[in-house]
Amino acid sequence: MMDDLIRIEHLTKIYERGEVLALNDVSFTVKRGEFLVLLGLSGSGKSTLLRCINRLIEPTAGTIIFDGIDVTRASSRQLRQIRRRMAMIFQQFNLVKRSTVLTNVLSGRLGYVSPAASAIHKFSKQDIDMAMADLDRVGIPEQAYKRADELSGGQQQRVGIARALMQQPDLLMADEPVSALDPATSHSVMQHLETMNREDGVTVIASLHFLSLARRYGTKILALKDGEIVFEGLPTEIDEARFMEIYGEEAKEVEVR
Amino acid sequence: MKEKYYAGFMTERPTWRKARRAFLKDMSILVTDVLFLASLWWLGSYIWNDLVHQTRDFLSVPWWIMVISVIELALVWQSFGLSPGMRLLGRRLIDEQDGPWWISLGRRSIRVLLLHVMPALLFQVILTTRYTPWHDRFLGFCSASAAEIDEIRVPWYRSSSAIAVIALGVGMYLASALFTQIDLVKLVTNASSTSEIWNKIFHPDWSILRLGIRLLIVTLFMAFMATFFGVIVAIPLSFLAARNLSHGFIGRTIYTVLRILMSIIRSIQPFIWAIIFVVWVRTGAAAFAGALALFVHSVADLTKLYSERLESIDPGPVEAIRATGAGRLQVILYGVVPQIVNPYLSFTIYRWDINVRMATIIGLVGGGGIGQRLLQLTRNWVWDQAIVLMLLIMFAVMLMDYSSSRLRERLN
Repeated sequence: MMDDLIRIEHLTKIYERGEVLALNDVSFTVKRGEFLVLLGLSGSGKSTLLRCINRLIEPTAGTIIFDGIDVTRASSRQLRQIRRRMAMIFQQFNLVKRSTVLTNVLSGRLGYVSPAASAIHKFSKQDIDMAMADLDRVGIPEQAYKRADELSGGQQQRVGIARALMQQPDLLMADEPVSALDPATSHSVMQHLETMNREDGVTVIASLHFLSLARRYGTKILALKDGEIVFEGLPTEIDEARFMEIYGEEAKEVEVR
Repeated sequence: MKEKYYAGFMTERPTWRKARRAFLKDMSILVTDVLFLASLWWLGSYIWNDLVHQTRDFLSVPWWIMVISVIELALVWQSFGLSPGMRLLGRRLIDEQDGPWWISLGRRSIRVLLLHVMPALLFQVILTTRYTPWHDRFLGFCSASAAEIDEIRVPWYRSSSAIAVIALGVGMYLASALFTQIDLVKLVTNASSTSEIWNKIFHPDWSILRLGIRLLIVTLFMAFMATFFGVIVAIPLSFLAARNLSHGFIGRTIYTVLRILMSIIRSIQPFIWAIIFVVWVRTGAAAFAGALALFVHSVADLTKLYSERLESIDPGPVEAIRATGAGRLQVILYGVVPQIVNPYLSFTIYRWDINVRMATIIGLVGGGGIGQRLLQLTRNWVWDQAIVLMLLIMFAVMLMDYSSSRLRERLN
């Protein structure tokens, strides 16, 4: 049994259009069961890094090994099988606004069902039961038949989490999951991620903006600046000086309690 | 495989690359301007010959005179105004020195002269690392990309588009005054000859009402068939003609070809299509020809509307569905389709509305339906029956207009 879930080596991403170097020779590993927090300013490469891992964005160079499989060399069929083991939640929730909450949750199952069955919106009884159970788990079972855009921001993000749960993932990637939410809702969403991490054994990589949230939930921290890793270590190791290094001289720490 | 990029990669590109890019851009601007002016030249000389000498030929000028004058004109335009090439490729000439306008004009004229040694710039690009061309630096100009500078406010009468519009307007007026043979006297003295028409129009012959309604129904069916099959063809085409859904070389090629083809078809009016199809399908099937014409135009129009809507969907949900490991078809069904159903319906109703109007007009060129009968009646001077058909058309169009706008309101 290998200890590392993800091993990233010399990952580089250049956006051809603007010739912008978004990731520059990034290498790190993520162990199973870790809660890795990505820190860094906007534009430091956090989102690009997450999207390179499931190849929503094609990396320019480097390798990504997920559970012993080389993601960067996977065929499109293999890639779909890898992707269904990596769930993702987003800053803007990315729900299909005009569809019902239940359909949104069920779409997390698309990697498992046959294209023909999903074409006529046919999901098995187990899948629907599972979707209801997941909605129950995130605390919004009564919203199942509402349209997704009728929900509040916090509720929408919980639908996002339920969609991720449907994938029964080994890895959960959260791209600034609480940036669009108020502090109280932020904690409730983060606690759902923590439960997934602790109880279901899902490895989590989350990019966050608040150091206080990172300290509270992360087991390891990785900080990016201009596409390069500037800090890798435990949450307790980040002091004033480190913070300045990551966020620049004028930065001041803002807390979310 | 792996090499480190130097620290300033994002901000500092090597200066020789900047210079090379700027030089290539200047050259492309010149080529664009020359092509633009050359086409204007040809068009102008053709029209002039046609109107003045009544010959179908271009002006006979030695080719080298034309080439030289077109290039000269382009250089002048680039120095004194905003040439089409500069507009297209986003480049502006900025005067860095303040001073009276006539000095600026003088410096601009010298710039035109210096631009003649533009080939020498090639060496400059190779030899030096800075880029503002020598002639510009010398005269106190600087070229900048349009994106870099803020919109500079120019009074409207000095903007080159206003000058062009005014010149065009004056020219058009003079030309049309000459060629349309305006005769206001006749307009007044000869009015009585239409009295028969007015008389008949105010005494309609309602015996044609039954036939009129039947023809109206045929016309509505024509519009319906054209819309129905137009939608069926346009939906799959719109997915191929959406920029954000076409990937790779093949996808992009299909996208480009489709878009160009559709805009060509769209730019040909439906009644011209009707003339083509009336000839094409020949006898006895006038309504079929009309429906075909509407169909072809509907496909092109709907493909454009649909694919533009596809291009403006929210990419977030699509990304999220892709991330779950869904296949291509699933991504479209679950990520794209829910976002476009209502707009598609709305566009379809809108097009159905247009097709009903068009179907009546298309009859006038032999495309069948109520319009064709209307044309026959007016030709045979049966104005008392023609007015009944006109009223029917008016009624149908108003009804469609009202109901389609109400339906579309509901959808939004």
